[in-house]
Amino acid sequence: MSTDSHPDGGRRQVRLLIVDDSNIVRRRIERSQRLGEIEVVGTASNGIEALELARRTDPDLVTMDLTMPQMDGIECISRLIELKPSMRILVISALADKATAVQAMEQGANGFLHKPFTDRQLNDAIAELIF
Amino acid sequence: MQLSGTDRNRRFLAAGAAVAVVTVMALVLIVGFRLATRIRASVAALQTTSVLQTYPAVISQQLAALRGQLDTLEYTGRVHGELAATIANFNKDFATIERRHDLDPAAIQRAQTLWQSYQPVLAPVLAFSGEPYDDTDTGSSLSPGGRVYYDQVRRAAIFAAENATVLHQQLASLSGSLQKRTSAAAARLRTLLFVGVLTVLALAMAALYLQLARGRHERAARDAQEQTRDILKTVREGFFLLDADYRIGSVWSEALTRLFGRSDFAGLDFEELLRDKVSPETLATAVKYIKLLWGERARENLMKSINPLGQLEVSMDNGRGGKETRYLQFDFHRVMGPKGVKHVLCAVGDITSNVLLARELQEAQENAHSQLDMMVGMLHADPLQVSTFLDSASAGLKHVNTILKEPARTDAEFRKKLAGLSRELHSIKGEASALNLMSIAQRVHHLEDMVGELKGKSELTGNDFLPVVLKLDELLAHLRGVREMTARLVTLKDGSPEPGATLSVPQLRIVSAEQPAAASSTERPTRAAGDLGTMLQQLAAKLAQDHGKRITLTLSGLGEVPEAYLSTVKDCVIQMLRNAAVHGIEPSDARRATAKPEAGEVRVDFHRSEKGYELVFQDDGAGLSPETLKQAAVRKNILTGEEAAALDNRAALALIFRPGFSTRDEVSMDAGRGVGMDVVARAVYALGGKIGVSTNPGRFTRFKIALPEASQAPAVA
Repeated sequence: MSTDSHPDGGRRQVRLLIVDDSNIVRRRIERSQRLGEIEVVGTASNGIEALELARRTDPDLVTMDLTMPQMDGIECISRLIELKPSMRILVISALADKATAVQAMEQGANGFLHKPFTDRQLNDAIAELIF
Repeated sequence: MQLSGTDRNRRFLAAGAAVAVVTVMALVLIVGFRLATRIRASVAALQTTSVLQTYPAVISQQLAALRGQLDTLEYTGRVHGELAATIANFNKDFATIERRHDLDPAAIQRAQTLWQSYQPVLAPVLAFSGEPYDDTDTGSSLSPGGRVYYDQVRRAAIFAAENATVLHQQLASLSGSLQKRTSAAAARLRTLLFVGVLTVLALAMAALYLQLARGRHERAARDAQEQTRDILKTVREGFFLLDADYRIGSVWSEALTRLFGRSDFAGLDFEELLRDKVSPETLATAVKYIKLLWGERARENLMKSINPLGQLEVSMDNGRGGKETRYLQFDFHRVMGPKGVKHVLCAVGDITSNVLLARELQEAQENAHSQLDMMVGMLHADPLQVSTFLDSASAGLKHVNTILKEPARTDAEFRKKLAGLSRELHSIKGEASALNLMSIAQRVHHLEDMVGELKGKSELTGNDFLPVVLKLDELLAHLRGVREMTARLVTLKDGSPEPGATLSVPQLRIVSAEQPAAASSTERPTRAAGDLGTMLQQLAAKLAQDHGKRITLTLSGLGEVPEAYLSTVKDCVIQMLRNAAVHGIEPSDARRATAKPEAGEVRVDFHRSEKGYELVFQDDGAGLSPETLKQAAVRKNILTGEEAAALDNRAALALIFRPGFSTRDEVSMDAGRGVGMDVVARAVYALGGKIGVSTNPGRFTRFKIALPEASQAPAVA
């Protein structure tokens, strides 16, 4: 869990888990993070998969879609926070409905990004959460 | 912060000055009191020494007097008593002086010694008692005791006379030193009073200065407060602070009163502010959002982006007993204190006009789009057809206006109006969609919806028609727009804009007829009929496409239609064609199943007859089923079950000419409003004609319309 357990001695890379039911969006986020301090540790297409992956890969940061099959984003957020309270969650959703955004924040999300987004917007939003 | 700090300092200074004034005054009083007491004692002592100074002389005089009396053998008792009293007084007063510590003890000692030296000569004198004289008959003479007494008096008198001056001087020097001391004390008292008064004055001035400064500062604070009040009174946004319990603070801007129609904001719960003004769901979201603002994750940008109150639709009392919809914009800013979020500043603005403007813009944009669509549609249509349509549509709408103007009081009269409106609108819509003028067709469709809603109302009043009148105006304006555009298009197509070829329809006709000015009236029917044919073919193609069917339309004899009947014939054929496309012709697969050709066939034949003209309209569709018609009539409450059962097939078929009858339940652009064949029948009757229908279920439906000679036909409005 702690950064000093890493053998390279320096700060460990920020571990990112991407959760979105759209393959295109997942790839898009992944591509935008090729360079820099962020290491993509997994991608999931629904909430259950995301929880499973989070247990195994211990991410620091999660990008989270809200409307997904099986387990939706809101529930997934609260479960992830239960799993690791320090986890940072960036909601990325096309929902224009503010009530859902408020609900996500209430569950523990840290940021909100509207789809569609540019790489710049995504990087800014992530930077705001981890630095 | 800075202000209140200096303010506190000033307060401390003023209080310090006041305390100093009191202390100094107390000190001056205490010291002054002591000095005064000492001076008073000194003055008393001074009096005593002054008296003491006189004693040596008095003693000397008294002794001298006593000696004189002894010399003359006078009575000595009185003077002797006085002398004794004087000596006793001296002793008493001297004892008082001796007790004083502020006198030079050496001087006192010296006076004491001097006085002691008096004692050996005075004591025997005082000790004498008895009669100094012996009284005989020969006279008086000193007795032996008297002689001793006389000697003692004489000695004492000589001693006293010799020493009186020295003792007097000694006592006078005591008095002098005492006087000096007293005046020194008095000088000290004066100085003390002077310094005390000066100090008090200085301190009082300092206190006054501080007080003035405080007054100035308070005035400045009051000014600042007043300015804040003025800002809050004038600013157009509603401003208030929310505390950690989500309650409104005691200061808010006046605009809030106007925005919310209340003024009891202090301490009001934020939830309470919005209750009854927004939906419960919105309220719940708003409350959650406000709670989030206090959290550590609530960064300003993030919170701004998810603000659910950025454009809040609220329903407010409009002051006239009704409700009106307004749009409010809430902005939240966190006010940070040393221990996290202290307050949340909330700014509320009324953005109703912005929202409405944005909507208008959007509508205008949509209008522009629809105009473009219309333009494209018109490029495909024949200008002559369009102008003919515009003529008849304008006439139709005029008729609608006439219907609306007809006075009506009873519900039945209003309903009659509605029925008339429906028919006119329906036929205009039919023509518009036949010409592919969808912008017009949609507007009329919308009007029909409004009329339909009115029909569904339980009770009708004149006011219910107002929106329809407004919408009609809009439609007329639109028609004018279309007319202008047609004129421009014609000019474009013609390539040679003529000064007259602008707006009026007759001129349009001339231009597009390619025979300017020479177009004769006999040629017109032919031309118009040709246009009618093209138009009907286009309509058939469009209807087939819209309803997923295939239709072959065969027209004959339309060239024969006299001009007076042209409009009616056109309207009737359009309506029947629509009915055929919607109800009559079956979908291709159904037709295949019954071994019919895939394309439905519709024939329209116009020809002369014995008494005038005849129009035959026939489709090879499913035909009409008397039973279905009856059921529909019962469902529409046009007939009761018994009445329906009593009808023969012929009468059942005639049901389709009744107003409000339609077998379609859902409404589409082309059919289902229950306006259709009754419009056709009315138009025919209006020309003095007749209409009949015959059918063979599964095979065909045929309408026959008989019209009288054109010259006998009544004028069409």
